[in-house]
Amino acid sequence: MQSSITKVLKAVADPTRREIFHALVVAATAMPITQISGQFQMSRQGITKHLRTLEEAGLVQIHTKGRERFCFADPLPLKEVNHWLKFYERFWDTKLQDLSSYLDSKSD
Amino acid sequence: MKDVISKTQLLNHSIDKVWDAISKAEELSTWFIEADFKAEVGYQYTFTSDGKEGCEPIMGVVQKAEPYTLIYTWEVKNTNVETTVKWELEDLGEKTRLYLEHSGISQYAGNTAIKMYTDFNGGWDNCISLLNEFLIKEVHAE
Repeated sequence: MQSSITKVLKAVADPTRREIFHALVVAATAMPITQISGQFQMSRQGITKHLRTLEEAGLVQIHTKGRERFCFADPLPLKEVNHWLKFYERFWDTKLQDLSSYLDSKSD
Repeated sequence: MKDVISKTQLLNHSIDKVWDAISKAEELSTWFIEADFKAEVGYQYTFTSDGKEGCEPIMGVVQKAEPYTLIYTWEVKNTNVETTVKWELEDLGEKTRLYLEHSGISQYAGNTAIKMYTDFNGGWDNCISLLNEFLIKEVHAE
C-alpha cells in the first residue's frame, strides 16, 4: 500500500466523502455503486469521482463483479494518522506538564 | 482531520527562564530528555532518552534558534521519518505563553507511518512510563 497520508487527509477533508465513507463503514459489507448513489441522491458519475478519491487514499476498495462495482471501506489508513496524532498529543501534553513543574521547582 | 499537533501552555515564569529551559542542554536533560543540544542553526542534536535498552534516540538539526523561536527537525533513529518541532514564546511580562507545533507526518507514505508508530510502540516510548501506560490502554481499547 503506497497511499500517502496526504491523500488520506485530502480524502476525508470533503464532507460528502466523509459521509460516503461513513456509510460504507456502517454497512460493514461491500455495497454496489448503484446503491450508494441512490442513498446519496447523487449521480453515479459524482459518486464514482468521490469513490475514486477515497480509493486512491486506500480508504475504499472497489471490485467489479459482473456489471456492478462493489465498494467497501478500509479504515486502516485513518488509523495510522490517528495513532501518530494520539501518540504525540499525549507525549507533548506530558512533556509540557513536566516543563511547567520543572520551572516551578527551579529557583530563580 | 488535521496532521499538525499544536499546544499552548501558559507558564508563570519569565520568557528568558522558559527560553533557557527549552534551549539549554543541561536544562533539557533535566525535564525533557537527556540531550546533546545547542541552540545554534545547523547543530545536529541528539535526544538520547534515558539510555535504557531499546530506547531509540531522537536526532535532528536546528533550523532556527533566535529568542524566542526554536525550530528543529525531529527524527527517531532508524525510522527515516523527519518531522518538525517548533517552539515559540510570547512575553506576557511575569508570564510566558508557549506555543508548540509538531508537524510533517503528511509527507510520509502510510506504510512508513505504520513503521514509525510500531517502532515507537516497541522501543523508545517504553522509556516514558506514562506514555507506555497510554499505549497499553490504546491497545486494549481497540
